[in-house]
Amino acid sequence: MIWVQLHSLIGSYPLALRGLAMTVVLSLISLTLGTLIGFALGVLRADDSRTHSGVIGAWVDLIRGTPFLVQIFLIFFILPELGVELDAFTAGIIGLTNLASCFICEIVVAGIRAVPTGQVEAALASGLSRWQRMRQVVLPQAMRVVLPPLVGQYVLLIKDSSVVSAIGLTDLTRVGWLVVQRVPNGLLVFALVGLAYFIVCYPLILLASRLEKRLGAAHAEVQL
Amino acid sequence: MIEFRGVNKWFGPLHVLKDITLSVEPREVVVVCGPSGSGKSTLIRCINGLETIKDGDLVVDGQHVGERATNMTQLRTEIGFVFQQFNLYPHKTALENVTLAPIHVRKIPRAEAKSAGRELLAKVGLADKFDAYPAELSGGQQQRVAIARSLCMRPKIMLFDEPTSALDPEMISEVLDVMVAVAEESMTMMVVTHEMGFARKVAKRVVFIDAGAIVETGTPEEFFSHPRTERSRAFLSKILRH
Amino acid sequence: MLTNFSFRTIVEYLPLFGQGLVATLWLSVLSFAGALAIGIIACGMNLQRSRLLRAPAKVYIDAVRATPLLAQLYFLYFGLPRLGFILPELVVGVLALSLNSGAYIAEIIRAGILSIPRGQVEAGVASGMTFVQRMRLVILPQAFRVTIPPLLGQAIVLVKDSALLSLISVAELTRAGQLLASDRFMPAEAFITVAACYLLLYYGLKGLARGSERWLGSRTVRSRA
Repeated sequence: MIWVQLHSLIGSYPLALRGLAMTVVLSLISLTLGTLIGFALGVLRADDSRTHSGVIGAWVDLIRGTPFLVQIFLIFFILPELGVELDAFTAGIIGLTNLASCFICEIVVAGIRAVPTGQVEAALASGLSRWQRMRQVVLPQAMRVVLPPLVGQYVLLIKDSSVVSAIGLTDLTRVGWLVVQRVPNGLLVFALVGLAYFIVCYPLILLASRLEKRLGAAHAEVQL
Repeated sequence: MIEFRGVNKWFGPLHVLKDITLSVEPREVVVVCGPSGSGKSTLIRCINGLETIKDGDLVVDGQHVGERATNMTQLRTEIGFVFQQFNLYPHKTALENVTLAPIHVRKIPRAEAKSAGRELLAKVGLADKFDAYPAELSGGQQQRVAIARSLCMRPKIMLFDEPTSALDPEMISEVLDVMVAVAEESMTMMVVTHEMGFARKVAKRVVFIDAGAIVETGTPEEFFSHPRTERSRAFLSKILRH
Repeated sequence: MLTNFSFRTIVEYLPLFGQGLVATLWLSVLSFAGALAIGIIACGMNLQRSRLLRAPAKVYIDAVRATPLLAQLYFLYFGLPRLGFILPELVVGVLALSLNSGAYIAEIIRAGILSIPRGQVEAGVASGMTFVQRMRLVILPQAFRVTIPPLLGQAIVLVKDSALLSLISVAELTRAGQLLASDRFMPAEAFITVAACYLLLYYGLKGLARGSERWLGSRTVRSRA
């Protein structure tokens, strides 16, 4: 019986590759866009301008307070009613990019706030403009604090991409769901799906903790 | 050059600067001293806008600090500020620390800024440390880089906020020597410090401030040898103990 | 669509949403309790010197953290029947959530324990305490204080994760929304209401977190070393 199943599984090889490719492409695009947008928003938000901070803050609360599944449903089912033509892939990109921007924004804000005020004062005292301060003094030092949680966030987002299977997008998880209909061995099929995710995510998890160790130790401010 | 007229400041209910009236002439060196919590740091930080004044008038280099019409960013390029905690940029070398503002703010060409920077670093005794990072330098060396960093902008005024208070004793004199050299080049300076030897050597006037108000001013000779008020006497007896 | 947003239908379906909300709360509480138990055990095993005890714990934690919850859910949902366990979806769902959050809780507890300065352990050893006594009297009380905020954070994550259970037909909040969306072709009304309910839960839990931080802060005496 198991040999028949294995045979069937191997026959699903092309489908599995498509699913893996979909997960990878979805993740890469959303993470890249999300990082760019998240950084921009984070810099804006850390600027202490009340209007920026308030609006962005409300949006962050909205994204952090609701399940990603619900956000995907909202995007996929409601945007078309507002006139936006949408397929599952685009909805997935929008949803995941949105999620990524939100969390990365928060990470960047925390990193900027971690830079000692003395540094900002020194830059201020030299007559550097706000943008020069950010670019030359604050952001380079903030990166040290930002990098470990950023990589950790990438892992979380790659895992969250599996939720997009709920609107029919043929990603790795959906491939598993489709295959298990024909090959009723849930343990085997999803163990393989899990293995695929593991191979992608585990190295990133290791990278995050190695970054944490190396950057955390060097984070000690210049000793007086 | 610097003029305080009836300046007041509150931190919430705390009245930290009371009716400060004080002026510093060009090329004058003024030392400000007082017990901790007296408001001396707040006073000097008002000059370049790191603290805001709530009442009164503060005129620096002909401009009114705190008024909207005044371009503080531009004004700060004329004022050098040396911090108690040095605040060197840890991710940049000594030379990069010194040349950052001249290159990006004064738009001086990189090569020119670098040679000026090297000259200044050599002047403060750090000719062999151009490419060292702050973490590789001692406290005294870092503070000297900080002074060079401020000087490289060719400011009209140099402000020092307790520049040696965070240093181990054996490094204090190397920093004070640099400050004396700056004073001898006719720089307008205001220095918040307890270092009486320095004050005696180069200060034109000593200002004693306590609990937010100026208690006494005078030449170093007058202040150290013949303090006129009881509080000045009490303060001096405490710090001259060693 | 937005012009004829039907509030009346939302009101009509309120009982269903109410039930869904209660169901979500219940299964979140159950799952969190399970996750705590699993997390404590896994963490305990992970801190042991013996490799025999550490290995299974580490494998479990790493496997869970590097794979998506949805894949784990499907693994149990489609896999358990093959092993002979025919369980109601609700049980499978709670099991999946417990196992998932359990791994994260194990790491949270471990971080809390490791944050206690070595000097504390040494003081305990010097007084002649056994491992268990040290844990009970010195380490865990202090670690407790540190772990409460991230634990509440994980609780918030768990409530949001519970939405995935709708995909295996568990009757909870998101499923209520799906039903309204498919019955009446009103996805906007359905999912906006669902989102609003989750936001209520979110702010409720955040309030709890803030309150606990204040309560913990007032009770501890920070020692100035």
